[in-house]
Amino acid sequence: MVDRPAPLQAQDKLAFLLALVPYLMDHGRVSVAEAAAHFRVKPEALRRAVRLIAVSGVPGETSSYQHGDLFDIAWDDFEDNDQIVLTHMVAIDDSPRFSAREAAALIAGLQYLSALPENIDRDAIGALMAKLARGSSASPTQVAVSGSESDETLGRVREAVAAGRRVEFDYRTSRGDTERRRVDPLRIESIDQDWYVRGWDAGRGAVRTFRLDRMSDLAVTDEAIVRHPGDIALPDALFEPSDEDLTVTIEVAEAALPLLGDYLTEDTPTRPSPSRAGWVLTSLRVAHYHGLKRLAAGMPGVLTVLEPQAARDAVADWAAAGAARYRTL
Amino acid sequence: MAEPKTAPRVPVEERLFSLVLALLATESGLTKNEILSTVQGYRQRYRSGGDNVNLERQFERDKDDIRDLGVPLETLEDPSQPGNNHAMRYRIPRGTYELPADIAFSSEETTLLNLAAMVWREGSLSGESRRALMKLRSLGVESDEPVVGYAPRLRSREAAFDPLSVALERHTVVRFRYLKPGESAARVRTLAPLALVQHQGRWHVHGIDQDVAEKRTFLLSRIVGSVQLTGQTFADEGGDHAARALAELDAIWANGVGVIEVAPGTDAAGRLGRRKGSAVTEGDRLTLHYSDMNLLADELAGYGPEVLVLSPPWLRDAVRTRLEQTAAAHGHPAATLADDAGRERDHG
Repeated sequence: MVDRPAPLQAQDKLAFLLALVPYLMDHGRVSVAEAAAHFRVKPEALRRAVRLIAVSGVPGETSSYQHGDLFDIAWDDFEDNDQIVLTHMVAIDDSPRFSAREAAALIAGLQYLSALPENIDRDAIGALMAKLARGSSASPTQVAVSGSESDETLGRVREAVAAGRRVEFDYRTSRGDTERRRVDPLRIESIDQDWYVRGWDAGRGAVRTFRLDRMSDLAVTDEAIVRHPGDIALPDALFEPSDEDLTVTIEVAEAALPLLGDYLTEDTPTRPSPSRAGWVLTSLRVAHYHGLKRLAAGMPGVLTVLEPQAARDAVADWAAAGAARYRTL
Repeated sequence: MAEPKTAPRVPVEERLFSLVLALLATESGLTKNEILSTVQGYRQRYRSGGDNVNLERQFERDKDDIRDLGVPLETLEDPSQPGNNHAMRYRIPRGTYELPADIAFSSEETTLLNLAAMVWREGSLSGESRRALMKLRSLGVESDEPVVGYAPRLRSREAAFDPLSVALERHTVVRFRYLKPGESAARVRTLAPLALVQHQGRWHVHGIDQDVAEKRTFLLSRIVGSVQLTGQTFADEGGDHAARALAELDAIWANGVGVIEVAPGTDAAGRLGRRKGSAVTEGDRLTLHYSDMNLLADELAGYGPEVLVLSPPWLRDAVRTRLEQTAAAHGHPAATLADDAGRERDHG
C-alpha cells in the first residue's frame, strides 16, 4: 500500500490541520520525518502545516490574536533539529469526528471487504462499523454493498500472488479462442463485482489484464515470478486503447449513452442524428468486432451500428444466429 | 490593530482553520459581524461600517466547506430577535465536534479501516475515505501494513453517485431522467433518496418516488444526464433503509429464475455459469437468478447464439424479439422476413 501523496485541496488541508494538532499534542515530541511518515505526506508539507499551526489561534478577549491566544511550538527544536514540540495549545483538545459521508465510505468499504474470500473476522468488522457510526458527527449516510461471490479460482490466484508464484491458465478471449497463458500475477483487482488479474504475461512479454471469469484450469506453478509488483507500474486503466483499434460509427438513443460506459470517454464527440429525434451519432473504438457484436446485441432498440458495413454485418449475423435458435424448435 | 492598506492574502486553509478554532473556543457563539471583523482571513478584508457582501458570501461558502468535513457548525437564534440574521450566533460545540473519548481503534482495526478506505481509492467516495483516514491517523495508531496482493476497489462509474450521496446526507429531494430497462425513452423522476446500495454489482438508489409517494429503487446506470438537487428537503423517518433495500432486491432476485441452454466453452457458459446462484441442472442447462427481467433479456441477447432461453416464456419471447430487432436494424435479410414479432415487442 504505497500512498502517493496527492496535491491537497483546501478542505483536505483543513482536515489535515485538525487531525495533526491532536496527534502532536499526544506525542509531546516527534520528528518531522516520523509525523510525515505517519500521515503519509511529504516532510515539507508537514513543516508547512506546523508553521501555520504555530501562528494560528483564536481572536481572544482582545479580538487581536495576542500571544497567549495562539499555538506555540519550540521554535529552536523545530528549526534546528526538525523536531516538533507544541508548547501552547488553544481551542482543540481532541480528534474530530468523522463526517456522515466519511463514516459511510468506510462502512461500505468494510461491507465489501467482509464479503471477500479473506479470512477477515466478521464480528470484528461488525463492531468496527458500530464504532464508526458512533464516531461520526451525524448518522452515516446509508451506503451499503451486498456480498460478492467468492470463487475458487480467485482464492488460488491470491495464494499465488502472496507466494510470488507464476500461474498458468486457459484464457478465453472475447473472440472466442482459448489459449494457455503463463503469467506472473502482480495484483488482483475487483471493480464492483468483476474480478481482474493483472500480471506479466510471459508469452507476450507485456503487462496484461485478465478477467477472472474467462480463466479456467488454473495451475499455480513452482516457478517464482520474474517480474515483481514493485518493478512494474500498473496503469490505473485496466485496458488501454491501442493503435490497432477499429473505429465504428453508431447511432444510439441519447438516453442510452451512459450504458456504453467505458467505451465512451467524456470527450467523445456526439452529434444529433439527422434522421431520428432523441438519437445521436458517435464513434467507438473497438479491438475487434467480436466485442462490438456482443455490445450491440445487448443494447437492442437503443443502438445501431452504421459503419463500416463489415461491423454492421457482424452484428446482424450474430443477432440473426441467435434468433435462428428459436425458430428451429 | 492597524490594518495595512493592502491586506496580505491569507491562504484558504488558514482562514478555515482560524474559523474552526474561533468557533470551537466560543461558548455563547459569535455573530457574523464578530467573525468577519475579528477572525484571521476575514478581518483583513473587513470594511468597518462598509459593504461586506463579498465577505459574507465567502463566509457562507466556508460554512458549507467546514460542515462537509463533518464539523458540527451550529447556528443559534437570538430568542429576543427571532429571524434576525445579524443577531444569529455561530459556534462549534466541543461535544459533537470531538470523537467520543471512549472510541479508540486498535492497530488491527486501523489496518482494516485502511483497507476499507482503499476500496474506494478510485471510486466516488475516495475524497471521503482519504479524509477519514486523515482523522484516523490523528489518533496516532500505526496500522500493521498488510501484505495484500490484491486491491479490491469499488468504483461507481455512474456520474450520479456523487450528487446522490450529497443529497442523501442533506436529505434533499433530487430530480433526474431515468431510462427504465426495456424502454427507449427516459422519463423524469423526482425522488427523496434514502440509501445507495450495490446489489449484484449494480448500484441502486432507493428512495421515495415523489410522483407516486411510494418507495422505489432505481439503477444508477440508467440515470440519464445529471442529477439535480432541488431546493426541497424532506424528513427521514429513520430506519435502516440500506439493509431493507438490499433485502428487497435479494427477495426479487431469489424469486426471478430463468432456465437457459448455454453452448459449452463459450463466453456465456464461462460467465453466466459462474454467477452467484447459477446452477447447472443437466448437461448444458443452466438455472440463473435475476432481479430485472428486462435487464437480463438485454444481457442474454448480447450472447447471441451462445444462449437459448427455455423458460420462463416471457423471457424467451423477450430475448428472441430483441435478437430479431437487432438483426433487422442491422439489415439482416432473414430477420426482416421473419419479423412477425411485433406483438411481443410490447413486453419489452
